Amino acid sequence: MMAGERSPASCYLDERTFRLCCRLFLQHSETIQDGWSWEQIKGTDEGFMKKTVLLPVKSSVLHKQHGCFMQAENMDLLTDDIQANVEDETAGVQAVCEIHAVLRYEYHVLYSCSYQIPVLYFRASTLDGNPLSLEEVWSNVHPNYRQRLQQGPWDTLTQQEHPLLGQPFFMLHPCRTEEFMKPALDLAQAENKRVNYIVSWLSVVGPVVGLDVPLSYCTEVSAPD
Amino acid sequence: MTELDSANRSWTLISAETETWRLASDGKKCVKNQTSVLMAAESTAAPKLQFSPFFSALEAGFWHQLTQKKLNDYHLDESPKNIKGYYYNGDPDGLPTRLTLEFSAFDADGPTPARCCPAPGTLYNTNTLEAFKTTDKKALLDKAADEIWSAIQSGAALDDSSILNKFILLTFADLKKYHFYYWFCFPALCFLEGVQLVQEPRSLEKSFSDTQISSLTAAYDSLCSSSGTTALPHFLMKYTDDSVEVAPLKDLNAFFPDLKKIAVCVYDPCTLPQHPGWPLRNLLFLIAKTWGSQLDVLEVLCFRDRTLQGSRSVRHSIIFRVKLPDLSVSAVCPKSVGWEKNPKGAMGPRSVNLSECMDPKRLAESSVDLNLKLMRWRLVPSLDLDKVVSTKCLLLGAGTLGCNVARTLMGWGVRHITFVDNAKISYSNPVRQPLYEFEDCLSGGKAKALAAVDRLQKIFPGVNAEGHNMSIPMPGHPVSFSESTTAQARHDVEQLEKLISEHDVVFLLMDTRESRWLPTVIAASQRKLIVNAALGFDTFVVMRHGLKKAKEPQSEESSPMSASSSSSCSSTPASTVTPGASLFSNIPGHRLGCYFCNDVVAPGDSTRDRTLDQQCTVSRPGLAMIAGALAVELMVSVLQHPEGGYAVASSSDDRMNEPPTSLGLVPHQIRGFLARFDNVLPASLAFDKCTACSQVVLENYEREGFQFLAKVFNSSHSFLEDLTGLTLLHQETQAAEIWDMSDDDSI
Ligand SMILES: [Zn+2]
Repeated sequence: MMAGERSPASCYLDERTFRLCCRLFLQHSETIQDGWSWEQIKGTDEGFMKKTVLLPVKSSVLHKQHGCFMQAENMDLLTDDIQANVEDETAGVQAVCEIHAVLRYEYHVLYSCSYQIPVLYFRASTLDGNPLSLEEVWSNVHPNYRQRLQQGPWDTLTQQEHPLLGQPFFMLHPCRTEEFMKPALDLAQAENKRVNYIVSWLSVVGPVVGLDVPLSYCTEVSAPD
Repeated sequence: MTELDSANRSWTLISAETETWRLASDGKKCVKNQTSVLMAAESTAAPKLQFSPFFSALEAGFWHQLTQKKLNDYHLDESPKNIKGYYYNGDPDGLPTRLTLEFSAFDADGPTPARCCPAPGTLYNTNTLEAFKTTDKKALLDKAADEIWSAIQSGAALDDSSILNKFILLTFADLKKYHFYYWFCFPALCFLEGVQLVQEPRSLEKSFSDTQISSLTAAYDSLCSSSGTTALPHFLMKYTDDSVEVAPLKDLNAFFPDLKKIAVCVYDPCTLPQHPGWPLRNLLFLIAKTWGSQLDVLEVLCFRDRTLQGSRSVRHSIIFRVKLPDLSVSAVCPKSVGWEKNPKGAMGPRSVNLSECMDPKRLAESSVDLNLKLMRWRLVPSLDLDKVVSTKCLLLGAGTLGCNVARTLMGWGVRHITFVDNAKISYSNPVRQPLYEFEDCLSGGKAKALAAVDRLQKIFPGVNAEGHNMSIPMPGHPVSFSESTTAQARHDVEQLEKLISEHDVVFLLMDTRESRWLPTVIAASQRKLIVNAALGFDTFVVMRHGLKKAKEPQSEESSPMSASSSSSCSSTPASTVTPGASLFSNIPGHRLGCYFCNDVVAPGDSTRDRTLDQQCTVSRPGLAMIAGALAVELMVSVLQHPEGGYAVASSSDDRMNEPPTSLGLVPHQIRGFLARFDNVLPASLAFDKCTACSQVVLENYEREGFQFLAKVFNSSHSFLEDLTGLTLLHQETQAAEIWDMSDDDSI
């Protein structure tokens, strides 16, 4: 992009501004206990913003999709082998399989040096750490939203290695960030308001992957000076 | 377990619908529903306290980190390791009481998430499944219980009460299959007779005034901040009508002048209205051991502190009174329990299969699939990806075209790719044939068909590739030198027939013209789609052969020639390409011609071959990539058409019209002219005197099989020309060339 073409309201932000925006964002999260935290990678100055959300789902749905007893036979054998060794103080108690019916969504906000914008990584798993496929994530998106999401940034979801953790995550590819950030930033500029980039951006991309960003962020979180 | 027997009698389960999940505490028959109404029957014996056990909750990152530790750190070391989990008292209703381990669990001294309580753990990672099975679980539990008991006896647990929440994790990591076996234990010391409830649990808002509740919250926050933490696992409380004071657990003697009636608070991860979570158990033991002799009644506050939509509340905390036995003189470590049940509710380990997110091969497969699905999502709902991915492709030729076709097929997610080639890789190949490397040329060179398979598997292990190092018999190339050469040719034909029948699409990617004849005949007879690509120096043709109608006699075609050029070389006689010729528009797939339909000579006589294909083995280097890619894209477009190979051919004219598929046009041929950087899309009719796909050829092949084919291989080109009537045509049109004439088998 040529410098002359760039709008005064830049869709890019440098890493320092990213961190400042995150700090203000985290302060508000702390106030309303929204669950965001800064995760520092041990022994480096790198880090990311993280939130974990637990979602109860109907266990039957999950079982069908996920096969939570993938190795059921296998495990029965294993259990028979060692059962004698452990006192079962709850013999006769009914199965407690329903506990599986919780999904855990992890959201990570990272800074991308190459795109100079924040990037949203996420993954979903059952409580034992077994990750869900994108289809399973998709099937948990409310049908009312699906059609809208298919046109939205959902189609830029890819599977990527987390740059700091080296584990597979889903990522909303940054290639379309400018597309939806520019109108928001232009509008704010027209109204002479200073907005926190992270707040504006996350309010748009978060709901796409089930991440709720309370309205109070928009009113309470300021832009860095 | 007797601690619950009486409880069972005195609790009545009134309703049990709308289950979220059931919780089994450490007692018998304690399955209760969270949303059900539990009522104490007051007339019977005093109820006993029941606890909601921890459920282990593991983040995917924990398994990744365990894998790293095992590979880089632990190796075969099975000694116990310190790890760390945490629990949280701010859950909304409906979530299970969890002990969570993240990827940071291995950093035992690292920070704990805000407002969470740490739990110290010991990891026993075994090297074998056998060791995992045979590890003495009871001994592990006894050892941990003994540590807790010792810390209670010595008073160490008063100074650092987190020892009360100690847990054990036994694991076996099968890193070949990425299966993890694990079993958690949350050791809890047991009161022999249970814990007797003096006053049943009720919510704090029913016991405390608003003033008391806000005073408690403020006092707790203040104690947290003076302790330099954001969560306190245990603390003390005393209150008057209008104020609440709190203090650290270790200040108990100073805080309560009268030890007969004291109140302790526990940070409680449970959300059930009638039950405390697991962490209370060992705290009660600490109190019974340390102050049991003086204590009359103990008041317990299960402190629950949640913020929903920015609004904080501790009102749903529960408070109750219990009578503790006096354990002050007891010196023997009490009985303990704590191994977690598996998802089936039995005492047994759990397992998780993480091959989907850890096995690099599976990761490659899911990433490839996902990228394709994204393409589909953009074109929803019309792109039928499964049709493409499941197509079995036979690539005849593993040279420049074959390599490029294979790579493009992989890009489309095609999994089943078979190569046929009889050449070896030579030094000039790797720079143009992207599946080969210099090393492949050494010692005489590897067989292309086999090396190509190896490379595909390296590029993408999920591919189902196969290679056949074999020759394809050709017209005019006699096979009748000996019995063995005939037998070999017969075998090769049978093999090719078998391969074609086992695949859905046949790609003709050889560098000679006549080698395309046999597969053209066989595929036409078997009604298999052929995609053919051929290169000149700076021209190419990519085409789909017409797909004959199933089991119906071919209708006579009167049109002798097509509107397009007859060969890929620009110097061929029939290069009368007329872009946009509407005369041949709307030709249905079954009437489209094959590669040989445009020719007035039969393939085969290599010494007199009139086409320049063979002479054009040197082409501009980009040409094979362009043509190879177009061949695959043509196949994909054909597959997307509801009529597949029978689809009406799109022509250059149709470029302005509504495309017949979600991917666009479905042409018969794409002829490219690199010098002009131009492509045209001619369509041509099948030729009734075609030496490959005409009815008479197919009939002879189907009737006589190898007998017929052998005649074609062993004869000069005039055999086919006579058979199809081309000879006659030539004579009639006074063709200027001199042909080898033969009377054999003329019709
Ligand atoms: Zn033909």
